[in-house]
Amino acid sequence: MIAIQVEDLTVAYGEQPVLWDIDWKVPTGVLSAIVGPNGAGKSTLIKTIVGLVRPVAGSARILNQPLRDARRKIAYVPQRNSVDWDFPTTVFDVVLMGTYGELGWFRRPGRRQRQAAWETLRQVGMEEFASRQIRELSGGQQQRTFLARALVQQAPVLLMDEPFQGVDAVTEQAVVQILRRLRDEGRTVVVVHHDLATVAEYFDEVLLLNVRRIAAGPCADVLTPENLRQAYGRVPVLWANAGPGKEEGVTREAGG
Amino acid sequence: MSDPTFLLVAAGSAILGLVSGALGCFAILRKQSLLGDVVSHAALPGVMLVFLLFRTKAPFPLLLGGAATGWLCTMTVLRIVRSTRIPPDTALCGTMAVFFGVGIWLQTYIQHHVRDASQAGLDRFLFGQAATLLDRDVLWMAILGGVALGTMLLLWKEFKLLSFDPEFAASLGWPVRRLDVILMSALVLAIVIGLQSVGVVLMSAMVVAPGAAARQWTDRLGRMVALAGTFGAVAGVAGTWLSEQIQRTPTGPAIVLCATAIAVGSILVAPRRGLLWRFPAIWRRRHRSQLNSETTAIPGGSPQPR
Repeated sequence: MIAIQVEDLTVAYGEQPVLWDIDWKVPTGVLSAIVGPNGAGKSTLIKTIVGLVRPVAGSARILNQPLRDARRKIAYVPQRNSVDWDFPTTVFDVVLMGTYGELGWFRRPGRRQRQAAWETLRQVGMEEFASRQIRELSGGQQQRTFLARALVQQAPVLLMDEPFQGVDAVTEQAVVQILRRLRDEGRTVVVVHHDLATVAEYFDEVLLLNVRRIAAGPCADVLTPENLRQAYGRVPVLWANAGPGKEEGVTREAGG
Repeated sequence: MSDPTFLLVAAGSAILGLVSGALGCFAILRKQSLLGDVVSHAALPGVMLVFLLFRTKAPFPLLLGGAATGWLCTMTVLRIVRSTRIPPDTALCGTMAVFFGVGIWLQTYIQHHVRDASQAGLDRFLFGQAATLLDRDVLWMAILGGVALGTMLLLWKEFKLLSFDPEFAASLGWPVRRLDVILMSALVLAIVIGLQSVGVVLMSAMVVAPGAAARQWTDRLGRMVALAGTFGAVAGVAGTWLSEQIQRTPTGPAIVLCATAIAVGSILVAPRRGLLWRFPAIWRRRHRSQLNSETTAIPGGSPQPR
């Protein structure tokens, strides 16, 4: 089963192409990363998949359905800095917003939705912060709140934009644990990621992107020095300076 | 104080303060405070046009005309921002000036060419004159304000989501643009009901000041909106009373000054956020850092440690 199928996707802001003729498939039950240099179109790609950006050409399908029939099947976690954290609301309220999709017009969240929000807060370890104003959270706690808001949707496909940006190591590990659990439940998770060093550790598959698709597939096959040079214009510093162990590790895996 | 005219006028001002204060919160939280200014200024040509075409003084058509041009101006701004490279503030100022200019031109034309123009009291739309409010004016303010508030209550969860995170709202499948237009329309209604007593020039203050004040006191959207409505209503009544007490004071400025006083007071004394409570800490910190850094040049003399 294919969770996300992107075909011939081209997106442009004005005259400038941001994504060029992307073909990409993500099977279900996989933890997948999207990596690439700044301006590679990583965020744009997932925004197009969830319907926030309209492509010039091509299409994205979710679980073999066009997006308009698959709204309930995707959950989206925007970048943390895309909202005003001074907004007068609480952690619990933000998580509850994840239920607004199933509620539809006019209906307010009821007992069932509140119950779901509590359970999700517990899952991400944010129960004790439920009534906090969201400004009073650390970056990691804000990210967990956003994750909880998406988890409450109970969607089989989860798309996250830079969830580890400005997040402490403890949260990063906690979030990865949660994502693995989701994967093990058979859900599909796609994450825009910027830290090449952890891609192979956290994810099963990766899409290497720089406006065009450079490579996609299992991490070991994709993260070769050649592909990275093609995507970043050079082998990223991290790879070049990582010492023989790391580099060998990658190439060995790639060869195997 | 208890004479029926005052009660009527005060009721009208309370309604306008309540509705504009409550809906203004959303404009503030969405960082669209300037839209209040745009709508109110752009309402002037609509009011004048309706008078010129139909020679009516009835509140409903006049306010409807104002709402129409206010709405049109807002949509023009949104369209310009969406489809050109002109930045939002430039689009706002430019469009608003054109609409307001047309309004002033129409008003001048009416004053010189229409016989019963002075009795029509159209000049009150500029700075507001609540004393001229009649029963039917207040009735229409209540109806239109009720529609605006009702829309807000009905679409509370939608407006909240739209204001906090429109991208997430869109990812859930909410028609964000349509919601945007509905919220904007409710705000337009909230503004036009204030045109008679506050006037187009100052009405934007009634959108911003109560909400800014309320934000100081609470971290919950529901309480903020309720509080802003209350502040707006209080300012409306207090301003009306002031303008009755002081001869020849237009109501608009009086109401706006009351709202501003509430806002300034809140910014100073609100618990936790209040400047007055934070000032000693800020001052101490600054003072200490001055003492600590020997290289800091202090304009106007050296620091005086106490």
